[in-house]
Amino acid sequence: MVDFARVQKELQECNKDIDVSGISIKPKGDNLTHLAGTIPGPLATPYEGGTFNIDIILPDGYPFEPPRMQFATKVWEYQAGNNETLKGLLVTTLYIASISVYTPAMLCSVALLHMVLTRHPNISSQSGAICLDILKDQWSPALTLKTALLSVQALLSAPEPDDPQDAVVAQQYLRDYQTFAATARYWTETFARTSALGVEEKVQKLVEMGFPEALVRSTLESVGGDENMALEKLCSG
Amino acid sequence: MQNQEGLQADAEMASVTPIQATEVEDWANFRDDDIMQQQSAIRAVEAEKIPLVGDKEPLSSLAAEYQSGSPILLEKIKVLSEQFDAIRRTRGDGNCFFRSFMFSYLEHILESQDREEVNRITGNVENCRKTLQSLGYADFTFEDFFALFLEQLESVLQGNEASISHDELMQRSRDQSISDYVVMFFRFVTSGEIRKRSEFFEPFILGLTNTTVEQFCKSSVEPMGEESDHVHITAVSDALGVPIRVVYLDRSSCDTGGVSVNHHDFIPAISDAPSGTSGGSETKPFINLLYRPGHYDILYPK
Repeated sequence: MVDFARVQKELQECNKDIDVSGISIKPKGDNLTHLAGTIPGPLATPYEGGTFNIDIILPDGYPFEPPRMQFATKVWEYQAGNNETLKGLLVTTLYIASISVYTPAMLCSVALLHMVLTRHPNISSQSGAICLDILKDQWSPALTLKTALLSVQALLSAPEPDDPQDAVVAQQYLRDYQTFAATARYWTETFARTSALGVEEKVQKLVEMGFPEALVRSTLESVGGDENMALEKLCSG
Repeated sequence: MQNQEGLQADAEMASVTPIQATEVEDWANFRDDDIMQQQSAIRAVEAEKIPLVGDKEPLSSLAAEYQSGSPILLEKIKVLSEQFDAIRRTRGDGNCFFRSFMFSYLEHILESQDREEVNRITGNVENCRKTLQSLGYADFTFEDFFALFLEQLESVLQGNEASISHDELMQRSRDQSISDYVVMFFRFVTSGEIRKRSEFFEPFILGLTNTTVEQFCKSSVEPMGEESDHVHITAVSDALGVPIRVVYLDRSSCDTGGVSVNHHDFIPAISDAPSGTSGGSETKPFINLLYRPGHYDILYPK
């Protein structure tokens, strides 16, 4: 049984100094087992300026068992490719938001090649799972949701590519840091900033990608205004 | 030349990448959830073998365990049985020291009804609370654990509504949630004491793990299931002012050929040791634990 009284206190404490930490935690539904956290990207990193959404699920044994945390800021990966044709196409999708050259169908076939979240060696590009010891065996009831989110934020500042969650990204981090950093930065700017956008800006952005406005509006509404979820839904038809 | 190498590398990448991709996918199938589920399944199997706190058994059951084992150990158990007549086993889940300490202490209070000792330790618990606050711990992280320990302490004292019997104490100590809350209380107390006196503990911690005091507390004291060492025992004994005797059962033998059983008394550094021992006379611990490499159980002296 989750200790809800404690969770309640945790949320209050955390949201009290939201102006200082930038970290927020809100309930996702009517009960306190599913929460949504946000962390600001740390300064002087490719994640600076972004706001990252963390999906939090509290297991029955909380606070004895660690909270389950996953990155939920969804972005699309381009394949750092070995196929020349694909490479050109995919790289271009990075700019798709501003230059709508491709039809939605083309965009989808490209985007669906790889759906990832936040580009980081210790974050799975498939599930958003975070490789962090305190979320596993090093968890302690002495920690809180907020301190866990602070550790996730610290992980963004100091990746540990030698203990990767995502081997491919870790390899790029080690072998070609420039490309890694540029990609991570681009994604931050393109996707992790959008949560702050107004509805009209989101609609406009998706329309610019080539989706019909009516469909964009209804899709956005159906996913509660989450632009990335809307894009995912639009792409999956 | 460099270009060629580059191309070759690219070509290699091209042929290697798809394989890697599937490998990564395979690994991705082992989600943390799955791994943690498996760990709890392993714990469940362990749980069936022995409760968190076992029944009192005659010391002969210990000898039976080593029947075909090392003769040194059998000799030592013989020596042990001159001083102790029973053992109570605890589950080997990494919390065995704290759980042994918990049961042994509460059982002592239940049997002795030593109110003076209860008042004394309650004062020390308050100090521990202040220590944690001054170290910057948010109250809500530790208050439930403190409250639950004090509740147990209150309930083993007879004569009030909440009083419990020995059977009830047994039951509570085997109840995972109550038992774990008390273990976590001790972990907070231990961590607070180590951090508060970090200069004193630093050299020991460096010798043990080569990490900082802060890191040690975070990774080896505060998480459940992390095993205890001399550092933990010293800290919890000092913080609560409770002396602890640890008797060592291992294969070491002394030069003279005779077999003796070593023990170490952890005597609180702070001078407010239990009452009745004033005047600097040697404090005899009422908590006796048996240490076998990697595990602690409770011993009962004759």
